[in-house]
Amino acid sequence: MNQSPKCTAMARRDFIRVGGLTALGVGPTAKMAAQTNNQQFKAVTERACILIGLAGGPSHIETFDPKPNAPVEVRGPMASIATALPGVRLCETLPATAKIMDRISIVRSVTSPLGEHNFGTHYMMTGYKPTPVLEYPAFGSTLAAVRPPEGVLPQHIAVPNFVGGVSGNGYLPSRTKPFGVGGDPRRPEFKVRDLDFYQGLDLARLGRRKQMLNAFDQFEREQDAASTESKNSELERAFNLIASKDAKAAFELSAESIETRQRYGMGDAIGQSCLLARRLVENGVPFVTVNNSGWDTHQNIVQLKERFPGDQNAKALAFDRAFSALVTDLDERGMLDSTLVIAMGEFGRTPKINVNGGRDHWPNVFSVALAGGGIKRGYIHGSSDTLAEYPAEDAMTPADLATTIYSLLGVNPSHELHPNDGRPVRVAPDTAHAIDALIS
Amino acid sequence: MADLPGHTTEFQNVTMRNLLSNSKVLKLATLCLLLSSATAIAQRDIEFHNDIVPLFTRFGCNAGACHGAAVGRGDFKLSLFGSDPDSDYDSVVRHLRGRRINIATPEESLLLLKPTEQVAHGGGTRFDIDSDPVSLIAEWIRNGALHTTSRQFTGILVTPTTYHAKTVGDTTAVKVTATYSDGSKRDVTSSTVLIAEDNTGVEIHHESATIEAKRRGRHIVIARYLTEVHPIEVIVPLTDARLRRSKSISSNFIDEQIQSRLKQLRLQASPQISDELYLRRATLDLTGRLPTAESLSQFVADDATDKRALLIQSLLESDGYVEYWTFKLAKLLRLRTQQHDQEGASVYNEWISEQLRNDAGYDEISRSLLVAEGDAHSNGPANFWRTTRTARDQAELASEIFMGSRLRCANCHNHPLDRWTQDDYHGLAAIFAKVEQGVIVQTKPNGRVIHPKYLEPAQPKVPGAQFVDDSDSNARMQFAQWLTDPNNPYFSKAIVNRIWKQLMGKGLVEPVDDFRSTNPATHPVLLDLLAKDFVDSGFSIKHTITRITESAAYARSADAIEANKFDDKYYSHAIKMPLEAEVLADAIADVTGIHEQYGEQPVGTRAISLLDPAVPSRTLQVLGRCDRSDSCESTADAIDGLSQKLHQFNGAMINDRISAPNSRLTQYILAGKPALEIIEAFYQVGLSRSMNDIERSYWKKLTVDLDTKVDTEHFLEDFVWSLLSSKEFGTKH
Repeated sequence: MNQSPKCTAMARRDFIRVGGLTALGVGPTAKMAAQTNNQQFKAVTERACILIGLAGGPSHIETFDPKPNAPVEVRGPMASIATALPGVRLCETLPATAKIMDRISIVRSVTSPLGEHNFGTHYMMTGYKPTPVLEYPAFGSTLAAVRPPEGVLPQHIAVPNFVGGVSGNGYLPSRTKPFGVGGDPRRPEFKVRDLDFYQGLDLARLGRRKQMLNAFDQFEREQDAASTESKNSELERAFNLIASKDAKAAFELSAESIETRQRYGMGDAIGQSCLLARRLVENGVPFVTVNNSGWDTHQNIVQLKERFPGDQNAKALAFDRAFSALVTDLDERGMLDSTLVIAMGEFGRTPKINVNGGRDHWPNVFSVALAGGGIKRGYIHGSSDTLAEYPAEDAMTPADLATTIYSLLGVNPSHELHPNDGRPVRVAPDTAHAIDALIS
Repeated sequence: MADLPGHTTEFQNVTMRNLLSNSKVLKLATLCLLLSSATAIAQRDIEFHNDIVPLFTRFGCNAGACHGAAVGRGDFKLSLFGSDPDSDYDSVVRHLRGRRINIATPEESLLLLKPTEQVAHGGGTRFDIDSDPVSLIAEWIRNGALHTTSRQFTGILVTPTTYHAKTVGDTTAVKVTATYSDGSKRDVTSSTVLIAEDNTGVEIHHESATIEAKRRGRHIVIARYLTEVHPIEVIVPLTDARLRRSKSISSNFIDEQIQSRLKQLRLQASPQISDELYLRRATLDLTGRLPTAESLSQFVADDATDKRALLIQSLLESDGYVEYWTFKLAKLLRLRTQQHDQEGASVYNEWISEQLRNDAGYDEISRSLLVAEGDAHSNGPANFWRTTRTARDQAELASEIFMGSRLRCANCHNHPLDRWTQDDYHGLAAIFAKVEQGVIVQTKPNGRVIHPKYLEPAQPKVPGAQFVDDSDSNARMQFAQWLTDPNNPYFSKAIVNRIWKQLMGKGLVEPVDDFRSTNPATHPVLLDLLAKDFVDSGFSIKHTITRITESAAYARSADAIEANKFDDKYYSHAIKMPLEAEVLADAIADVTGIHEQYGEQPVGTRAISLLDPAVPSRTLQVLGRCDRSDSCESTADAIDGLSQKLHQFNGAMINDRISAPNSRLTQYILAGKPALEIIEAFYQVGLSRSMNDIERSYWKKLTVDLDTKVDTEHFLEDFVWSLLSSKEFGTKH
């Protein structure tokens, strides 16, 4: 663990250079940004993010960090392949990603002490280690709290749901909690539930219901000196969403051509989820979390690539198809530079194959893939040691990753937010720093 | 788990920050100061336990993020916060082939070169070369780096234990005195770490060991010296208001305690609630249902002066009580269908109901669970042993449920904020390892768990108490007897605190499963008295419910007044609580008159009576039920508000039922009731009260425009929908 950063709070560097200017906190400092009238800054504050959460913890060795020269018990049963980036190899589970290696970055030296699913997820998704005192917000919720809301679409959406024992909004108001679209995006008839009118109802009826409900709540509030003045904002949001045909259209996967749906993987939850994420970002949603479970491969690691002969939809293959389609599709549409794509799990897996042919939890080193949104094209950051056990160079904590993500999205990592009890809490821990080398 | 759950982090961040400021202070410290403390220690032998280990804690060396981590740091491992000085001695003196100390040239010891950063140190500079700790450590090494200890550290005395600040900005000095086995004492304030749980509430001035109140309210500061952690309570009145003398409403010990806290914090209490609202509150609390329209009119009309007490009595005797509190206990015990085995869950549930019906002592209930054996299909409590898969999980479960303690922190290291050690954790697991956990629960004489520190089978141990003979196959009984002893410090407090929370909205200790000395109750004396009263009553749940419900605090309005609107935990007003998912689902069913069918259960099965808490139900999912696969104290997986509202608008939960053929509304309409009467009737069944004048005129104005029958029906449907969606309906208040 020598490579881990200091346990002290001595190294502090909150601001990083983004495209030649300092990332500013949104909110109180938004005015300053407007005054600079800088196109680049505008670009930063309008960046969106699609975070693909590979829940369960994908093996780093069988994805982004193969060890072809390691002994077989570490190397595992799968081969490595060359990529578009000379000298860089990926596992054979990622053939399509290998072809676009020159458009993405990989960090191979992420390190965390937390090898339990919920703890690890909390750390990766919020940048803070879990504590019983305070639950921290996920990136998308922070963004929803500091960026002024625009339009009627939710600012933080989870496809299909937000998981991992993390609430999402943490200590932030519940309006920032990710909206889970639910359902199974694989199904041809997939629709986001409860957006269409219940039979016999129409907007006028719902409007009257809302009005009556507000009256009830108003009667109730007038009695109570402690009640806050706010209206039922979630009710308003739901109503406005139901009322807007345009906004609802963003959720319509069926509006995509068959070719596009196949490109992302027709029968894959992760593929169709990524496609939906792209549609949402296109329609102005700043943060979408795609959740994909099933990466907890304690048994038979080969199932990542093949569960039966001829299997085309195994975990890693489906991810490969979805991730590469998303990056190239965004690129073709000219959206990649303004959309940060991240693929990560909560930890990696044990370097040695276990007795069941699988790998167990291993947080000491693992990989995260990033693309777009200001990330370098064709870059490998850091490395793990020869046995994929610990970081060898440029160790990076989840807190550093969080700081980097916030900076790229135009949120000052030292910006302070306030839980209910009024104490100030930084967006990202003050012990962490953003990784300049990743940024183009 | 590879490492500490990160929950010490907050704590360490604070510590680290303190350290930074302290090292600056040290640099500036006058020679005079240095000399005086150095000479004070030099007058006697420097002892590893009492002089060196405290430095490791003071300077953060043995914190969880550094060498105190379960795997250490940089191959140097210290016990977390110095909980195990003997193993620390080994690490310092013996490991690394003794290179950490250099007796010939103490200044060249790695133990000094590292923290002064004369050689590279991952943790940076902890103290300076010419500082007090360096001379102390060097002196100890020069004297032979001995392990001998002349006196055993026995504990600390902290003053003050409670600090009543008059206003924000007031400060007080903290004094910490260590006591030793030989009766001697020593001021260790300067080696004590003070941590504010909330550093916006209290600021700590380390150089002078003073604490400053920064915000109104009650805050906790933790003083840590070696393994000892003590809380200091800081109280700043919430208002400057002069309290009106309130008529003393009750001589109940509960009210005395609540009242005295309110006085300290200068909080005026809200008025008492009406009979209607008392009926609604008590019926919800005791039976998980809304009062019927009939019981409402009867209760209001009743002239008896003791009608509230009589109400409580009759509710406690009702089937509704048994049904609802079975649900409460089932949630606590995480009763659920195991591997589709309905039979076990059903027998278990029936057994719990039986205990509640007879008001069996909670001590007896707990003992039955802990020593249960046999076929889980016929012996209900045996299913307790099927709740988890392993002895360790079972130990965590038992400590959370029965002791309100998070023993699980002591899996990897001694609990940093409590007394629990790894021996306690693995000792309890070792007791439980003697049980075969399965459909047939039986003794497993060879069952063991491995103690991670010694890599040997852990010796069975009653937590915080005696070791048990490993061959004793009945160690469970010893644990159960220790636990349910009237003098056990955890057992009765844990359960009365849960009962209190159910009735009052918040535990005296929160979270209810995190009792520890550093998380003191908001009303410690009240908690003691409630526990004692509970024990004296023969561990009767009904008794404690009665006690609480007869207090003035219980019958207080949930509406805050200007003078207490900032209070959310001292009971100056009742706390509005959202109804639990299952209770709300049942309430919607009762008010609409249409029950949801859950899985293959017969229609009319109440949500609180479901044996399988994960039975597919969009309603329960939307309302945020707990599936009991884990503790139900956390609500992390609750559905987001937007999805909930969308479902309310467009989903089946309410829409399917309002105007169903047999619904209450349809029946009222068929009976030809006028619209305003129907509205009044729904007020009664849904909100347990009549419309007030403002409301009546509001609804009346809306009803006059209704022309046709269809218009009226649609209007009433919309009305019922909005009532069922309203905050007043969805909360206990």
